[in-house]
Amino acid sequence: MNKSSIAIVALLALIGGFSVSWFINNSKPVELEDGIWFGDQSRALPEFELVNHNNQPLTRSSLNGKWSLIFFGYTHCPDICPASLQTMAEMFAAIEDPDVLEAIQVYFVSVDPERDNPEILAAYVTYFNPAFIGATAALEKLTPLTRSLGIAHDIRNKSDASTNYDVDHSSAIVLINPQAEFAGLFSAPHDALALARDMTRIVEHN
Amino acid sequence: MPRLLLILLLILPGSAIAELDIHNAWIKNLPPAVPVRAGYMTIHNAQANEVSIVAISSDAFASVEIHRSIAEDGMMRMEAVPTLVIEPDSTVQLAPGGLHLMMMNPAEPTKPDDVLQIVIEFDDGSTQSLNMTVKK
Repeated sequence: MNKSSIAIVALLALIGGFSVSWFINNSKPVELEDGIWFGDQSRALPEFELVNHNNQPLTRSSLNGKWSLIFFGYTHCPDICPASLQTMAEMFAAIEDPDVLEAIQVYFVSVDPERDNPEILAAYVTYFNPAFIGATAALEKLTPLTRSLGIAHDIRNKSDASTNYDVDHSSAIVLINPQAEFAGLFSAPHDALALARDMTRIVEHN
Repeated sequence: MPRLLLILLLILPGSAIAELDIHNAWIKNLPPAVPVRAGYMTIHNAQANEVSIVAISSDAFASVEIHRSIAEDGMMRMEAVPTLVIEPDSTVQLAPGGLHLMMMNPAEPTKPDDVLQIVIEFDDGSTQSLNMTVKK
């Protein structure tokens, strides 16, 4: 590496450092135990249209008015998806303030639209909590949304006729604020009680 | 002659038949619309030899495999674990977010408190039955 490239790298590192510290300073209003709070850096979601488990459209404006927690997965996922939904169900059980509960909506969005139709999603998500909402859409409709949230997903080892395949997916829970902006992220592994405390803090401070 | 054979069998040093101490074996229930279940347990190998689980079968499921959930760059993926080796005097946890049994296509819809049997097969050909309780 010559001197000028070292200088460029150093400059980039410096800028990166400033950006990170500036970002952290701006995400202070709510200190989270288990997640990242974007604060002033929250950004509007793109327009999207999914179908919820009652066969109704789920769009960006559907998210207005509540704090939404969204987990992306698929029903044939035996381990992580039930564990994450179970954690969110336990989070609900752990939140004592009814106003906080009322302000939160949990969504499970399937990134496996070929196998997960609204009927299966309805049975699946309401098993964990009757208030949870399942949704999905064809991949070309899903991907702009997941990409805007930094949520990766990839169908793997699928032959044409096979219904037995895996779907790799992000394990984070996405937080959307009542203005339908991407407001935070909870990374796995998820802890129900920490989530409950974080969500209570978020709802009560906003 | 048969009696001699019997006596010989009894006094010969027993070939190390794998036997594990397995606790808290449970299956996460899901609604009938979903054809997969995950099974979890704590396995302790108290023996001086390592024990290898090479297959698991059950009349209650079309197939049972050992899988591992792996987090990589924020993505979760599953990989099959064809042989699960349990070292001497050690414990392996099958728990949510890591090692688990991937149980496909239940023969009957599962419900909480059901007790379903699986058969664990070891590399020496011996087997061990295990009852697993379905939990909500």
